Amino acid sequence: MKARSAFSIQADVLFAIAVREMNSRFSGYTFGNIWLVLEPLLMMVMFILIFGLRGRGEFGYVEPAVFVFAAFLPFKMLWQFTLKRILSAATGARGLLGFRQVRLFDMFVARALMEAGLFIVVGVVIGTAMWWLGFDPWPKEPLPVLGYAAVLWIFACAVGILGAVVSRVAMEVEKLINIMTMPLLFLSAVFFPMTMVPQPYRDILAWNPLVHANELIREQWLPQYVSPVADFSYLGWWTILSLALAVSAYRLSWQRIVAT
Amino acid sequence: MISLDNVSKYYPTRFGPHYVLKNLNIDIPDDRDIAILGPNGAGKSTLLRMIGGIDFPSTGAIHSDRFISWPLALSSGFEGSMTGRENVRFICRIHGVRDTAEIEDFVKEFSELGDTFELPVRGYSSGMRSKYAFAVSMGFDFDTYLMDEIMSVGDEGFRKKCEKAISEKRESANIILVSHNVATLRDHCNAAILLAYGRAEFYESVDRAIFRYKSL
Repeated sequence: MKARSAFSIQADVLFAIAVREMNSRFSGYTFGNIWLVLEPLLMMVMFILIFGLRGRGEFGYVEPAVFVFAAFLPFKMLWQFTLKRILSAATGARGLLGFRQVRLFDMFVARALMEAGLFIVVGVVIGTAMWWLGFDPWPKEPLPVLGYAAVLWIFACAVGILGAVVSRVAMEVEKLINIMTMPLLFLSAVFFPMTMVPQPYRDILAWNPLVHANELIREQWLPQYVSPVADFSYLGWWTILSLALAVSAYRLSWQRIVAT
Repeated sequence: MISLDNVSKYYPTRFGPHYVLKNLNIDIPDDRDIAILGPNGAGKSTLLRMIGGIDFPSTGAIHSDRFISWPLALSSGFEGSMTGRENVRFICRIHGVRDTAEIEDFVKEFSELGDTFELPVRGYSSGMRSKYAFAVSMGFDFDTYLMDEIMSVGDEGFRKKCEKAISEKRESANIILVSHNVATLRDHCNAAILLAYGRAEFYESVDRAIFRYKSL
């Protein structure tokens, strides 16, 4: 054995966990690892078909299929899936914690990175397919879109870590977050733009930081959309504060979580 | 040297903290093979897990500059849905071994699992599991090997093989062994830690420790 730096141990462990996750998540299925991409892919295709092909002109400035693609892809993959995978990390992979190199945080990071990678892969595959079919699905400003998507992803990580830590004290939290997933889909301006929401409710919905993430991404993705509420500093503060809270909560309690 | 500095471990229960180990101060020398003895619930496995760095003292600290193996136990660290080979690969990767083929072959041969090596670990019997776990750990060069009741399961032939492998490793490494089998401890160890009543005592001679253990 030779000594490695902390950074190279971390990199080795993240790589090992990612490979292991890929191999074991769908190991019992006939198509195996293909499901890793196929599952979100089918889901996205279904959403685009159900919500997207209800006729044209609903929004005026963009085809419904592209609108659904631009909204559901980041929200589903970077928010919902990342959150879910991180929440289940603490219970789902306890076997790995039998090695001192593997910390719970590595599990969080590996799972979050995998979801981010899947987001890119699924996005490119569906985008190419839509482009082939004659749509114009690509973001107007790709870099800002990726930037806002990254903020949404970090926000999901923070909420996920916080939920995982707190649910060790009160198991109900995990249930509560899972119950909230569905209503949040309706309250986060995913399948409607905020311009469609009349005034008193618009300000109320704007309290939700996810609304801002979705609107910011939409503004940069669709050619003509201007959001009435989007405010990056609001989303930014939510992200920074929840991340600080999550990381400190984790640091204070990770040994207790790991202890059997 | 593995040194335990005022180590306490308690579990919170609804009757208040339940202390398993209280204020241990022990130095474990590098050149001795240590037996850990004690009645059930005395904290033997907990102590081993803490030395192995996968459990943590409630107060105090453990210092060491050695490469310590993961605690080898029947239930340890293997992902049931992955095959024996995939688990070996995972363990190689987290230990920074890039070229995993050599260790994979070694484990397959040493563990005598044959084709079972390519099947999910969840289907292994406890004997196969102990062979497998032992073989994996022998694939790496640690300074200290931690073993928790792992040697009491395998059959006679395999036990001989284990003893041979351990005595080869012993030239550069030492072992810390938890077992209820007094004969195993006497064969493999030349010093002992007796755990009882939340305290620990270090014995230079295993026989004395066994005598004390029997008269507890």
